[in-house]
This record gives sequence, structure tokens and C-alpha cells, in this order.
Amino acid sequence: MALSDAWKRLSWIYYQYLLVTALYMLEPWERTIFNSLVVSVAGMAVYTGYVFMPQHIMAILYYFEVIQ
Amino acid sequence: MALDARSGAPKLQLNGTNGRRRHRPVRLSVKKKKKKKKKPGGVRNGAAAQGRPRNRFEQAPLYVAVLTYVGFGIVTLFGYFRDFLRALRLEKCHIAQERQELKEFVPLYQDFENFYTRNLYMRVRDNWNRPICSLPGPVFDLMERVSDDYNWTFRLTGRTLKNVINMGSYNYLGFAENNALFLTTVAEAVRGYGVGTCSTRQEMGNLRIHEELEQLVAEFLGVESAMTFGMGFATNSMNIPALVGKGCLILSDELNHTSLILGARLSGATIRIFKHNNMQSLERLLRDAVCSGQPRTHRPWRKILIMVEGIYSMEGSLVCLPEIVALKKKYKAYLYLDEAHSIGALGPTGRGVIELFGMDAKDIDILMGTFTKSFGAAGGYIAGKKELVDYLRSHSHSAVYASAMSPPVTEQIIRVIKGIMGRGGTNEGLRRVHRLMENTRYFRRRLREMGFIIYGNEDSPVVPLLLYLPAKVVAFSRAMLEKNIGVVVVGFPATPITEARARFCVSAAHTRDMLDKVLDALDEVGDALSIKFSRQKFSPRSELYDGTDFELDS
Repeated sequence: MALSDAWKRLSWIYYQYLLVTALYMLEPWERTIFNSLVVSVAGMAVYTGYVFMPQHIMAILYYFEVIQ
Repeated sequence: MALDARSGAPKLQLNGTNGRRRHRPVRLSVKKKKKKKKKPGGVRNGAAAQGRPRNRFEQAPLYVAVLTYVGFGIVTLFGYFRDFLRALRLEKCHIAQERQELKEFVPLYQDFENFYTRNLYMRVRDNWNRPICSLPGPVFDLMERVSDDYNWTFRLTGRTLKNVINMGSYNYLGFAENNALFLTTVAEAVRGYGVGTCSTRQEMGNLRIHEELEQLVAEFLGVESAMTFGMGFATNSMNIPALVGKGCLILSDELNHTSLILGARLSGATIRIFKHNNMQSLERLLRDAVCSGQPRTHRPWRKILIMVEGIYSMEGSLVCLPEIVALKKKYKAYLYLDEAHSIGALGPTGRGVIELFGMDAKDIDILMGTFTKSFGAAGGYIAGKKELVDYLRSHSHSAVYASAMSPPVTEQIIRVIKGIMGRGGTNEGLRRVHRLMENTRYFRRRLREMGFIIYGNEDSPVVPLLLYLPAKVVAFSRAMLEKNIGVVVVGFPATPITEARARFCVSAAHTRDMLDKVLDALDEVGDALSIKFSRQKFSPRSELYDGTDFELDS
């Protein structure tokens, strides 16, 4: 029950995303291209955050003089 | 500072609710109701009597405009991409192209100008030009149409969608009907005169039924004389050149219809545009025109003609008629009022926007209107003083060259006008006018309560519902069709690029049931698509938020 509600909610959110970015008017293969671009850009941002997060956190703690 | 035609004093107004008297400061944007004659009982003027701001154009939140541009940007980028693929021949080109033998010639098809059509309109054009296979009454039948190649070609499946509620036809009084009882005189006209007139009005096409119609139209409007033409668009575009020419000035509203713009351009007069319903802008243009005269020679203008419409069909807003008439009298200009949508649909007895404001038809120099909308026929008229109409009979292109109105169409207009005026024993016409006003008020009030952004005046039966984003426009039209309701959506070239809308035309033939069904469907679709952008909250009890209550409380 909860799973089907969650699925309905997610698909409504995807529908809103299609409407707002006007992907609703495009053909399915064009939607695939655009979605892959979005996913790859988001993926790269997440990966960069993952790789550099320890260094950034150390720099912040050093700045606020929590560690020497 | 107000342009009061009679005296400069602020006016006392009897407010309809609670019988309290209110002193209204005399402001340009507030309507003054001129109590010239007692109105026939029943329906009060809406915004006119209560002094609320008449035309509302609420603005959407900023993120909506940003998202509209984002949507258009993405589709434009994909449009360039697809054009690139078509140029490389990786994709088949469906649009018109030149033959191989003519490649060396001057190009016949301008590819870039059709960019919008090719890459935006074609993708979604199943929402327009839907084939209808019944009478365009309050409900109609549609042929079902599918496309296999993303709307480049269509095929009919053979199935009919029955009883789709019609919210798009200009059928304001419901006279687009095929009830044999009501149409007996029309059938007799066909038996008597045939269907085609085979001539122009000037040659052999002036039938007795045309003269009868013109007398009736003049009586209906309260003017000396009227002339009718076979096509409404041609009435504007072919008669304005006969009235003004080079050396004249036309002051035209920003949002005038294409027929008025075409007529103005054809005439060769100088055209200046004032902001929509903005009297300061109009007055400034008039002062400049009267003081400076023609551009280089500074000679006085031969004529100054102000062109406005009664109801602007894309915004649903009404013209500020009392102020314009006051301005025209002060600066001695002429006024051309195009009542295409408002004749028959406004006013307690259906006489149009002039009656709604309680003014005299003799103040307007040229009254123009069409029979296509409220009268369920086709054609247009121009009415005014006898000298004007007699001049037009011989100098107008439409009168001299266009073929005369068809007899059954003429008889339909005659029967409708007689019905509205109350002749022929029944008051069916007047009842329809009142029902239209009730339907309009109800529909607009409910839409506003639901939280949609609606443009225009409370009394206008044209209701534009703003959708803004291009994909929502398309999704709205399809979702409403699935719920068996036919709507008209309008996008970029006809409206500004950020303000795409769905335009509803309320009709007197809609029953309360049909309107409720449409409103429930709009509620659901509005939530599913999230198009309820309005930030004004309206309580259903209107006596709680009348404007001057704030002054009295503090």
C-alpha cells in the first residue's frame, strides 16, 4: 500500500518535472538524451563532493581553529 | 482631475449591497454609473454599480515566468538539434522542400522563419483544428484523431466522441441551435430566396430581407441607420480604408484585433498605439496630435479616429467607455467601437457595452459589430448617423465588391434580434441574456475561488485562464479532452510569449450541471498540473471584503 502510494507520488513528481522543463512536448528519445545529460551532470557533482569532502571538512575545521 | 462629462463634482452612488450610501473619490479607474434612466428590473450591473476595479490582470509569481523561459529555451535547443539532423539528412524532413532541379534558383521556402512552426507547433498540433461533426452547441461530437508520426500526419479512427462539453464556441446566447420549431422562418427564407445571392449589394444582391435587417439593427442599437456585410473580418478591414486615409491619425489600442490593424494599415493613415485601456496614454497621444499636427509639415490632422473594442477577446477586459467618450469630446476626435464580442452578450437587454455603462449610442460615432458570436449567424454591421452609412454604401469595398449576405443567414439574424427585443410574443431572448449573465458570474466566481488566475472583467463571458508554461498548455488541453470537455488553448503568436492561456466562452445554453461538471474537472486538472497560481485568497462571502470597509473601521 505504502509502496504504491510512494510510486504514485514519485510519478506525479516526474510528471511535474516533465511539464516544467517542457520535456512533455518532446519525443521519447529526446527525453532520454536530456535526462542522461541531467543525470550525468548531477552524478559528476555528487562524485566530486564525495572525493573532496574530507579535504573541505579538514580545511573548515582548521579555519575555525578546532584542530591545529 | 477626473474626466467627468457633466460636472466636476464627485458623485454619490447607491451601492447595491446593504443599501448604504458611499462617497466615492472621483478616480479615473473607478467607474461612475450615470443614472440616466431606470434600468429594467432583474439584473444589476456587476462591477459598474459596486465600483470595484473593473479589469483585473493578476500577475503570477516570478518563478512562473522563469520556468516559462526555461521551457521555451529547452524546446528551442532541441529544435536547433533537430534542424541540424535534418540538414545532415540523418532525419527525414516532413516539411515542404524544393525540388532537386530548382536548387540553383532563389530559395522559395524560408526555412528559418518557420522555426517556431516546425519545432514547437508541429509537435503538439493535435490540440488545434479538431474535426467537429455536429452542431457547435453547448455539447458537440468530435471525431477521434490519432497520429503515428508525432503529429506530422493524422488519421481518423472512425470513432466519434459524443457529447463533449463545448467551452470554446462563441455561442454566447446559445443561438447556434437546430431546433426546427425555432428555425421555421429561416426555412421559409430558403424556400423563398434560395441560399446564394449571386451578386453584390450594389448590383443585384440587395434583397428586401437585407433592408429589413438593416432597419431592425438600427432600431436595436438605437441609432439612425445601419449597414450589414457578409463577413465580420471584412467589415473592419474593408471599411476603415473608406473612412480614413492619408493625413488622418488612428489611435488604436494595444490589443486590438487583427481585422482592425489590417484595416488601419490598408487605409494609409498614420497609426499610433496607446497602452491597453490606459487613459493617460491616450490623452497624451491626443494632446501631442492636436498640438503638433502631422509629422513634418505640422499641419493639423484631417481626422483623428480612436479605435477600441467592446470586449477584448484575449483578455476578457472591457473598454473604459465613459472616459474615452469624455476624452473624445474634449479633443474633438471620432470614436470607432468594435463590439464583436459584446453585442448581445452584455447589458441588461443585450444591447452591448454601451448599455452596460448606461451611455447614449449617439455619443459613439461609428458602431461596428459582428453577427458571428451572439447571433449564431455570420456577418457584420456598421451603424451610426444616416450620412455615414449612406456614404459607406457607395464607398466601402465590402459593399461594392463583396457578395451579399445569404438569405437564411439574414433571416436567422432577424429572428434573433426580434427574440432579444421581445417581439414575436416570447421573451426567450431576454431570458437567455439574463442566463448568460448568471452563468458568467457563477463561472468566474468559482474559478477565482479555486485559485486560478483569470483575466478581465466580472461581466465578460470570455474567460481567459492563464497557464503560462508551454507544456502545461498542451497537457491541459489533452487532459480536458479525456474528461470529455473541449477547450481552446492559445499560445505564443496570439498572446505574449509568457502568457499562454486557455480561453473559455460561457454560453447561455450551458446548464448549471454542465458548468459544475466543467468546474469539477478544472479542479482536478488544476491540482494534477498545478496551475493554480493565484495568490489572492477570496472568501465566498463577498460582503466581508468590500473596499471602503477599511476606511470606516479605522
